[in-house]
Amino acid sequence: MPRLRATVSSFRHQAAMFWAEPQWIIPNVIAPFVLAMVVLMIYREPSPEAVLYAVLGGGMMGMWGNTLYASGFSIQSDRWWGTVDAIFAAPSPLIWIIGGRTIWNAFVGIVNGLFVLVAAMIIFQTPLEIADFPLFILAFVLTLLSLAALGMLFSAAFVLTRSAQVLTNGLEFPIYVGTGSMFPIFLLPYWTHPLSYSLAPTWGIDAIRYAALSDYAQGFSAGYWGDLLYMMILAVFYLTVSIWLYKAVDHRARKTANLMRY
Amino acid sequence: MEDGNEVVIDVKGLVRKYHSSTGILHQKRRETVAVDNIDFQVRRGELFGLLGPNGAGKTTTIKVLTTLLLPTTGNVSILGYDVVKQSMEVRKRIGLILGGERGLYYRVTARQNLRYFADIYGVPISVRDRRIEEVLDKVNLLDKADTRVEDYSRGMKQRLHIAKGIIHDPELIFMDELTIGLDPEAARDARDMTKELVADGKTILLTTHYMYEADELCDRIGVITRGKIVALDTPKGLKSLVKDTSVIEVEGFGVTERDLESLRALDGVRTVAASMCEDKQTLRVQVGDPVSLLPKVTHLLEDRNVIGMKVKEPTLEDAYLWLVREDA
Repeated sequence: MPRLRATVSSFRHQAAMFWAEPQWIIPNVIAPFVLAMVVLMIYREPSPEAVLYAVLGGGMMGMWGNTLYASGFSIQSDRWWGTVDAIFAAPSPLIWIIGGRTIWNAFVGIVNGLFVLVAAMIIFQTPLEIADFPLFILAFVLTLLSLAALGMLFSAAFVLTRSAQVLTNGLEFPIYVGTGSMFPIFLLPYWTHPLSYSLAPTWGIDAIRYAALSDYAQGFSAGYWGDLLYMMILAVFYLTVSIWLYKAVDHRARKTANLMRY
Repeated sequence: MEDGNEVVIDVKGLVRKYHSSTGILHQKRRETVAVDNIDFQVRRGELFGLLGPNGAGKTTTIKVLTTLLLPTTGNVSILGYDVVKQSMEVRKRIGLILGGERGLYYRVTARQNLRYFADIYGVPISVRDRRIEEVLDKVNLLDKADTRVEDYSRGMKQRLHIAKGIIHDPELIFMDELTIGLDPEAARDARDMTKELVADGKTILLTTHYMYEADELCDRIGVITRGKIVALDTPKGLKSLVKDTSVIEVEGFGVTERDLESLRALDGVRTVAASMCEDKQTLRVQVGDPVSLLPKVTHLLEDRNVIGMKVKEPTLEDAYLWLVREDA
């Protein structure tokens, strides 16, 4: 249980740090919100189903933008504070510590996603009539967990680089497009599909749309439960790779001495 | 009762190299040997100092000992555990206290900092809050426990660093440049706390480049320079290395680098060290025979604004300067 305590404590600590620095709201909430709003305005067309499709996608963009941005900061902030030595020298493995932070970040992303959703509903005067509310909530929660798993994967890759922010900025739009948040994947070139299908949020947003829209016709053939299954398989895969990556990162950081540089 | 002869740090043939590269097409790889084949042991309850100039290899050594870096070659055992193969066992039992401004989460309170570090360092939840109170009391921060760290003075931050390093009640504590940048009063507080930890039975390895600190605190000192330990003894033993030496201490203004070179070139001068406090310069000229050298030194500096010159007994600093001199 000590490892789980490290995760819970990291979640709580990340929350305390978030509230202590109100400016985090700008990149974590306001920027993804504004971006999602712009996309929604571009996307808007007479069909209310299409608007609802875009509203859900906008929410997803808010969640993803936050997860990506925050995972880039998961260890970079410790470099700034000078706490990276103490974090790395702790008997709790780094992955459990980062895990707590990533879950908090995904949680903020979810809140942000809901915020975008509600705001878009008000602005576009689109009442969201959820076709199946329990399935909607289930898909939402599982998407949160899969986002956290993807955040873990990115954060592990970002631990060794001092340029995490550059990478997160570069990855933001490809993922918005690739996951189908902006428009259906089938509109994209065929060669991009493997990338889209390898991202858990792609399946998550499709499952959310299945649960929310009664006559959702553009979804994957896997259907709601198939989407969830693929998403969870990918999330477990991300976590497995993250565990391996964090072990590799631990060894490499101790060998090359580059973890503490900033 | 603990065995006072029990070896808790055992370093054998430790080498640590860094590699760096420059250029893209014609990449040049450079190897720097930060620690070059050092051996030493520290016994339980001892306060052991690693003393050396900047870049000597002190911090690299401490990072290897605290599992933050892998040794390139050599064996390091901490409390019987290998730092490479059993790093998690080592981490549970050691504390790391760093000097300097950074190393704390400034935006949250001292209590929030300690609660976080207590959790990730495995302090049982049943004793965590009591332990936080105890360490805050020990470092005299109990009344400021719920103040944000950004509102602390530099000395208070250093006391919180100490609290953070001992929150999980480690057997062995590593202190890296504990008093760097502290005012004299805060530095004295930090040294007093260090003494209390030793009195509580902790073993401490301390790195510093402040001589008086090493002299006051350490049972034994390893002098490290250019990655090698060039002497390892008690402060008294190290001072005896320069017992046949006297020191001409000169205080004044306007002494140039060229003057220092001229002093070094004088026959009978062993080392010359200069330090500066605000505008005033202090030179320590180690000589074998002060009677014959004093007039020569006076003559050489006659055009400078010398405000005082006296012959002194050698201190630990003089032993250190002798050991780490360039031509050693």
